[in-house]
This record gives sequence, C-alpha cells and structure tokens, in this order.
Amino acid sequence: MSAPEVFQLSVGPLTGVAFSPDRSQVAVCANTNEAQIYARNGDSWELQHTLAEHDKLITAISWAPQTNRIVTCSQDRNAYVWTPTETGWKPALVLLRINRAATCVKWSPKEDKFAVGSGARTIAVCSFDEENNWWVSKHIKKPLRSTVLSIDWHPNNVLLAAGAADAKAYVFSAFIKGVDSKPEPTVFSPSGDVLAFVAHDSSLNVVYPSGPGAPPAAYISVKLPSLPFVNLTFTSESQLIAAGHDCQPIVFSGDQSGWAQSHSLDDPTSSSSRPLTPHATGSRVPSGGVGRLGNNEAFNMFKAADSKGQRSGSSAPGGGSSASSGLTPVGTDGLLLTVHQNSITLVEAYEWSSNGDVSKISTAGKDGRLVLWPVTAKAGGLAGKFGALQV
Amino acid sequence: MSEYAFRKIDIDALDEDVLLPSDLYDPDPRGPDGVLSDAKSKSTEVRNLISRGDTAGALNTILTEPPYGEGVDEAKDITTTALLLILNSTRSTEIPAIVKALGPEQQDHLMAYLYKGMAVLGQGTDVSGSVLLTWHEKLTEVAGVGCIVRVMTDRRTL
Repeated sequence: MSAPEVFQLSVGPLTGVAFSPDRSQVAVCANTNEAQIYARNGDSWELQHTLAEHDKLITAISWAPQTNRIVTCSQDRNAYVWTPTETGWKPALVLLRINRAATCVKWSPKEDKFAVGSGARTIAVCSFDEENNWWVSKHIKKPLRSTVLSIDWHPNNVLLAAGAADAKAYVFSAFIKGVDSKPEPTVFSPSGDVLAFVAHDSSLNVVYPSGPGAPPAAYISVKLPSLPFVNLTFTSESQLIAAGHDCQPIVFSGDQSGWAQSHSLDDPTSSSSRPLTPHATGSRVPSGGVGRLGNNEAFNMFKAADSKGQRSGSSAPGGGSSASSGLTPVGTDGLLLTVHQNSITLVEAYEWSSNGDVSKISTAGKDGRLVLWPVTAKAGGLAGKFGALQV
Repeated sequence: MSEYAFRKIDIDALDEDVLLPSDLYDPDPRGPDGVLSDAKSKSTEVRNLISRGDTAGALNTILTEPPYGEGVDEAKDITTTALLLILNSTRSTEIPAIVKALGPEQQDHLMAYLYKGMAVLGQGTDVSGSVLLTWHEKLTEVAGVGCIVRVMTDRRTL
C-alpha cells in the first residue's frame, strides 16, 4: 500500500486546484487574486507562470484535458479563459453578465462550453462566439433561489447538475443552439446514470433517476455522525469518495439498494500515515517550521488555538469517546492525526486504471496542502484497524 | 446603541425576489390545526406515560413528527413543555440507554429541543442547564457531532 503524496503549496487555503492533462503541471490559487502554475520536478513543484488578471479572489479553476485551456472565475464577477502561447498564457475575458461573485466553474466534457455558478442565483453557460471572437453566456435562472455552490456536467455534454444554498440539488439542460448537436457539492458517476451530492446536514445522497417526469428509481440518503462533507467524486459505478470538514477522504460503496461508508483513505489510527512530512514548494515557508519556533510547545499551542480554535490542553488524543462522536482525532502536539490539517474543499480524480476506474485522487483544502491519494481497497484498511485494536 | 440601529432594518422589504422560508422547506402536510390537535393529544399521552414511569416511551412519542415551521407556535410550546418534563423526570443513569434506543431522526429532534431549551433558560421555564448539558453530552456520544450539525442547518425549526 503506497502512501499518499503530500505537497504544502501555501500557508493559507487553496481555493482552486486543477491539474494539466498530462499531470505534469498544476494550476492553484492560494486564496489570492492570482493563479499560479507549478511544474512538477521530482518530489516538488516549481513556479512557472502566474495568471494575473482578476481583481479579487479566484474561487475556482478548471483545466480542459483535451484542448489544454484553463478557465478561472473569481469574486470580481469575471471569468477568463487562458490559452497557452509561446510567450505564456493569454487571457480572454468572458461576458458573464452576473452581479454577484462567481463561485464555481467547470468545462463540459466536449470542452466547447463551460458553466459558471454564482451568488446571483444564476448559472452562466458559456460558449465561444466565432463572429465576435469572445465567450458569451446564457443564463439559467428560473428555479434557483440562492447561491450556486457546485456544478458538474453529464457525460452527454448537455445535462448540468448544480447544488445550491437553497438546500436543493438541480439537474438542468444546458442546451445551446448551434453549439450542441442533439442531445448539494454534485457529481455524476462515470456512466452518467447516477447523481450524488453531499449536504451540510452531514449527509451523503445518491439518486438513481428513472425517466423524465417520473420520480427517481432510488433515492438513498446516508446520515453520518461526523462533520459534513464538502466535495465528492465517483471512482467507479459502485464507489465514491467524499471529503470535507472531517479532514479525511472517506470511501463509500453501494448500489441501487443502498450505500454505506466503507473506509477512510487516511486512517488516523494506523501509524503509517503519521510521519509524513510535507514538501515545501517555491519560496513559501511550510507551515510547521516558522523559524526556531517550529518545535516550541507553547507556540504550537497558540497556533492550534488560532488555526483550529482548539486548546491543546482540553483535546484528548484519539480516545474512544471522540472517535465514536465523529470527531477528528487530535495528537498531543495539537496537530490533527490526519494528513490534512483543515477542511478538505476539493476532491478530484487524478489517475485512472486500465479498466476505467479511478486509481488515484487529489484533494486540497484550507490548510494549503495538495495530496495525491492512491484509492485503496477496504481489506487492507480493515486489517490494519484490527491490528491496531489488538495492540 | 443607536449606531447599531441600522442592523434592525429589514433590507428585504423592497426586494420582490426575496428568499422565503417556504422556498427552503415544505410546510407540514397536517396543517396548523392538525398539528395543534396532534401536539395536544401527544402531550396528554406523555403525561400518562410518565406517571407510569415509561420515560423511554414518552420520549419516543413526543419526538415522532414534532411540529415545525411557521404559524404553529402554540403546538411548539406544548411539545417543548412536555419534552422538558420528560427530561427533568429521567434519572441521569438511564439517559444513555434511552438515547441509544431512539431512531436517528428522533435523536436529531431531541438535539434540536435541547438547544431550544438552552435558549429559553432563565425565562420562566423550570428546567436547569445542568440537566440539558447531561442529555447533550450523552446524546453527542451516541449520535456524533453530525447530529449537532443537522440541527444547526435544519430550516424546519422546532
């Protein structure tokens, strides 16, 4: 069982992460108005380009796998499509026509369109206008009653799923004449037959639709004792991985008759996940060793109180009661025993195996870490757990 | 304090496209009158069960389909009073077993009432903070922090 790769890309949160098609580069936004493109060099990442055009915080990044274009959207209500040229990345402004911040963006599977969710109760579906040489948008407004928090495309390039802050998940047709030929956090499974979303009531919901206008064939809602999830991704038709405020990616498996929690990719009780040291990247200082204060107990205590609102004195290390009540275990040094030290906000498929299932996923979160996880089977994880129990 | 007066201004008053509670959840299908009569009959049943010493059964009854939403304030008051009566009349050693026997939905509702009880402490109610905190502790051990999150995010206020 190979260990996850951990990269500390910034001190603050990562608000957007997108890998290049060949996985040799990554575009990240470290909670600023600029996106940085890093190139992989062995065990570290080197800064290559900075995409500076937005005025305010970039909220999401999407990198098209075939056409190699990047789209970024920001709180300044704009989106830019970046095209690689010999002199660097060239931005093209998108006319979004929204009056609130853009929250999320995703390329469609054919990469001729992308969708931008916003706080203006609108989804802007954008396509390229050849005549005027710019990106134009069509709005989906009608049933939306609040901020759009997440979007995902159906593999057929037409259906669009969205989760919104009005406590509903929607599926729309994002059909644009001329561009298309005939046809709650929210993702479609690889075949596009299943819709899953996580909600802020610590639940995971999976929907199997039946036909147009008919109630779904199955609607499964799993309520969890832990903190809510923020994002999820399907790894196969019968497996998905969700992560969130619990700071660890959790594998769920099931089918139309029911879904259940399988195991965590980051088992805090096993010692193997403990001694991981993050790799520093670029000129940034890894959070953990700020000068000689890095190993100071008092410093760590105040740092934990500042970053997590925890007093290390009151936090019992991974005891039975904290595990059963769904709390993330905390070590004696005030750091979490999980790899991520704060909420995970992004989960995406990173690598596929030959049979089409996802073999590696990437996660990023508010702790500025980018982690690549091998998707492990349940057997190993459980054996490890029992082993730890016997000791 | 006058400098904070602006916080009380209803900024949605002139907005036609305002988000209403009815957009966020469906109202109780029983209607306000049905909810009230339900709450009254349950309250009487609970008193009977308590007098027979069946606190687990009483709690089970009161936490099944409790009144929620707007316009059912009387039903909510009756249910809350009946529930606090149960909480007060349960021995602290019995709490873990009772909490474990509840269904997941009832556990969520119980947590919501515990927070509601804490909100009205010292306002003429006869429940003490320590009783509520004991229940809260035992319930969190069984149902986890997810239960607390569900109460905080549920728009159907009990």
